[in-house]
Amino acid sequence: MGRHQAVAKTYRRVQPVDWGRSVHRRRYMRRELTSVFLIAYALVLLFGLWRLSQGEAAFEAWRASLSHPLALLGHAAIFIAALYQTISWFQVMPRTLPDSQVKPASITRAGWAAAAVVSVLVLALVMLGGGK
Amino acid sequence: MTAQTSPRTIRIEAMRYNPETDKEPSWKSYEVPFRDDMSVLQGLQYIKDHLDGSLTFRWSCRMAICGSCGMMINDTPQLACHAFLRDYMPGPVRIEALDNFPVIRDLVIDQTSFLNKLEAVKPWLIPKTPRTPADGPNPQTPAQMQKYQAYAQCINCLLCYAACPQIGLKPDFAGPAALALMHRYNADSRDQGWAARAEMANAEDGVWGCTYVGECSEVCPKAVDPAHAINQNKANSALDYFGLGKMLAPSEGGK
Repeated sequence: MGRHQAVAKTYRRVQPVDWGRSVHRRRYMRRELTSVFLIAYALVLLFGLWRLSQGEAAFEAWRASLSHPLALLGHAAIFIAALYQTISWFQVMPRTLPDSQVKPASITRAGWAAAAVVSVLVLALVMLGGGK
Repeated sequence: MTAQTSPRTIRIEAMRYNPETDKEPSWKSYEVPFRDDMSVLQGLQYIKDHLDGSLTFRWSCRMAICGSCGMMINDTPQLACHAFLRDYMPGPVRIEALDNFPVIRDLVIDQTSFLNKLEAVKPWLIPKTPRTPADGPNPQTPAQMQKYQAYAQCINCLLCYAACPQIGLKPDFAGPAALALMHRYNADSRDQGWAARAEMANAEDGVWGCTYVGECSEVCPKAVDPAHAINQNKANSALDYFGLGKMLAPSEGGK
């Protein structure tokens, strides 16, 4: 690529990426790691949908399995990861938006507020919907 | 006052590589006397002047504006003139050529790959109709200048390329500085080169090569914030894909 020719004799170091080298890289990896938990939760829901297609008994059995202590533990871990992702992604959101006069911290706080409002609305919907 | 009378010393460990004699780099240690006001660059200059004249490194301005003396200092990309020996006490200070670049000799890297990437983003004003000096001044308001001024501060020091893990994984990724400079021209009210640069921006090695680690902006000595330049253009690139032009792109710099 390009018209500039590389220097003929150079040493090319083998440099595996050290993801733990700096606080920024570690923060990035933690943020990315949360997506694994979200995929796991999506699979749990998809599995429930598949059980629903098999009839009411299968669906109820799946619902009952969610009360297992291991399932509760898993959901707690997923919840914490989702919370961490919400916090960390809105922290980096300002740089994904065009330059503006709005302070980055205000953008982040607006994101957190929106997430909180939506969470409360969804929770209210579930409670009012009479989910058992 | 007694603190200044007896100069302290610090050990500097420098990466050495001589292409004519060495198969691979090695490390060499030097005991360097220093004062509190001495930069790492001055430490290297002391070595070259008094201990080992063969140590090779680039430098010029000594005040963080030429971008020549970028190197890995204790695993962090920094300008050697912008880091002070006193901050590394009790030492040692481990100095290496910038990560993610081939080494020509000692601390000197081959910048060729960056020069090609830089040229590919067409980092110059592309006006709607060609202009000549006879056309006179091409004025803009302070507000228009503010849209790109921060990105114009790039000094091509390449610290961001050494910091970027994606450059390490995908050497063809255009990288932080080149994409920040692309945005600098796209955001300029006197420029109409968006379309000419779009192919480069939209490519997998363009803005989409970035996974937003954000370390480029952390190490930048001029606060250019390449991560912001790149990631705001992902939205532009997506809109461009759907034929929506550049709704979010900087105003007046468009097609």
